[in-house]
Amino acid sequence: MIVLLALAVLGTLGLGAVLVVAMDGRIAQLAGQFARQRIETEAPDRLNRDLAPVWYLALAAAGLSVVPFAPGHALLDSPVGIVIWGTCEALTIVTVFLHGWAPNAPFPLIGAYRYVAIALPVMLPSMFVLIAAALPAESLSLLAIVESQREIWNVARQPLGLPLFAIVVLTLTLRGPMDFADAADIATGTSADESGSARALWEVARAAMLVSASALAATVFFGGPLGPALPGPVWLWIKTAALVAAFAWLGRRIARTTPSRMLTILWVVLLPLSFLHLAISGVIAL
Amino acid sequence: MQTLIIILGWTGLAALFVRATQQPAGATAPQAVPFLGGGTPDAHAWQRYHFRPYTMTLVFIAFEMEMMFMYPWAVVFVSEGIKALAEMGMFLAILSVGILYGWREGVFRWQ
Amino acid sequence: MGLSSPDPASVFAAIGPGWQAPVERLLARQGLRRALTPRDAGILLVAGDMPGTAAEALSRVHDQLPHPRVTLRWTIAEETADAVAERIAATWRDLRAGEADESDHLPDQPPNEWKGVGPHGQGGKGMMGGTPYGRTMAMTGEDIRDGLQLDRYTARIGPFAPMLPPGLVLEVTLQGDVIVAASVQSPPFAQPADADAPELCAARMLTLLGLDEPARRSIRGRRPSGFWVRGAVPRDLGRIKDAGNARDRLAAFLAGDSPAVAATDLSELLPGLEWSEAMLVLASFPPSSILRAAPIPEAA
Repeated sequence: MIVLLALAVLGTLGLGAVLVVAMDGRIAQLAGQFARQRIETEAPDRLNRDLAPVWYLALAAAGLSVVPFAPGHALLDSPVGIVIWGTCEALTIVTVFLHGWAPNAPFPLIGAYRYVAIALPVMLPSMFVLIAAALPAESLSLLAIVESQREIWNVARQPLGLPLFAIVVLTLTLRGPMDFADAADIATGTSADESGSARALWEVARAAMLVSASALAATVFFGGPLGPALPGPVWLWIKTAALVAAFAWLGRRIARTTPSRMLTILWVVLLPLSFLHLAISGVIAL
Repeated sequence: MQTLIIILGWTGLAALFVRATQQPAGATAPQAVPFLGGGTPDAHAWQRYHFRPYTMTLVFIAFEMEMMFMYPWAVVFVSEGIKALAEMGMFLAILSVGILYGWREGVFRWQ
Repeated sequence: MGLSSPDPASVFAAIGPGWQAPVERLLARQGLRRALTPRDAGILLVAGDMPGTAAEALSRVHDQLPHPRVTLRWTIAEETADAVAERIAATWRDLRAGEADESDHLPDQPPNEWKGVGPHGQGGKGMMGGTPYGRTMAMTGEDIRDGLQLDRYTARIGPFAPMLPPGLVLEVTLQGDVIVAASVQSPPFAQPADADAPELCAARMLTLLGLDEPARRSIRGRRPSGFWVRGAVPRDLGRIKDAGNARDRLAAFLAGDSPAVAATDLSELLPGLEWSEAMLVLASFPPSSILRAAPIPEAA
């Protein structure tokens, strides 16, 4: 069983990442990039440069491991599943920072620090949303959160949850309005001095993280593997693919504001909104 | 233990994947110069970087600690009922005053 | 969108005097992609006759492209965009087949002589002194926002920085990501009135706002779609007497209007702004306004 679940995680991540890249219409582009020269900048931090994409991929896989593929079955059957996922989120900030730090170049460095400033406060709504989902389940386990949605999905009884979590997903995957690490004004930021296979690999890691985060959103808000007729994993894949498409679409269409303004919005608008979300979810759960 | 093995396993697999797909990195001296649109830097980019939202990070720590209390609270929430809701409501209300104070002091801006 | 999208030719554009509008229109075409850094490009498109002062910068950008790489020149006004697009496509095919490459233009020499005594090139006491790997370390200075003593990083950016007007070389001093000092080393290249076209001005701002596809649509003359486009530009940014703020100017561009703006001196306009704010403000001026705002420096 555990081997089967491990293969399910690996397959979902691999095929899902290919799907994400295909949705962006960039399969041929990335494939071509893998064959090009990988430039090394002056006096880089080689260890962290090589490790950053490794961590990013590993965090996506570890995060997906707590997601149940069938009711009662997750690779990481932990009583504190959402805490593990939260850890993966927080470590993603470190990973992206190291990716920008490693080349010893100005634009990547600006992107790295900018991302930290934005992604730290994004972690707060994220944990409020996940804790709100844990209330009706009376457990921090994602298996229990799935079971608690047998009658009604969380997306209906916790209406603010999905929009708030969408912001978290866009931040974790460096997309659209939350892509402060790889922005255009700093010549693609943390990736500005990466070329060839290193650049393509970072795109693949971002795609894998989008799959992982979408699968978690599908579990927390849409009952994950629950559904009639079809087997559990198929339902999870359908829901994940739909959410991947939705997040990618949003990422392409929402404008990105300046980092200092986004910081204020996160603390002054989104954090109180997530308080409100917790209160609404709490009252409904009682 | 199982959790640790699984996480280490994914890290190992990711490292193998990265090793397999990456070309060796290298560059000549002119290639290695950081990109500045044709311009040149005076110094190394690594520096005692002026991280503008540093005051925000202090407020952030307060909220992260608060998250720790919320995990056990979430588990007993339904059995404790309205009392748990009121307690967390009061706690968050006090923290909200902190946000308002920080906002007035300009904590959430690029200093 | 689509599973079988071909690999678009990724082009880094070095834009010379008078070629901003043609190049921006060219690279918004289907099958071409404008790279924001040479690291992401296979083709260096050199458009127009480059003045001698930009030659070294052009060589530097050329060398920053990863192998395999090819330089294409577009210098004859009679050559149509269709013909150039065809030339780029053919070159891109050669490049992908591994049949084309170029060697470095600049000599393979480290930027400075290695100085210092420590194992990492450091010289004096502790972390101070020396020039590790041929470059000095940034040193502290007073900040203009909060007065903290942290490092000042000085660099010359341009003339081919994609977020700046072509030709503009700015010497900026940054503390963190806030510009504390800026001076124009060389003014932007002169561009004819076509570069002020509202759809091009709008596209430059949309790119900075992270809306790549709407920016391409705008250049092709279609209505760009997106959420929170004007609202994403902070209201108090880039306010100029009689010409509103950056958000007003974006609204005017999107409405098909290119307002004439008397921009102020860049070395007064930029300091105090965070980098992305500064780039938004610069993009909110039509190129002709920037050219008027950037004084020609005295011959050094």
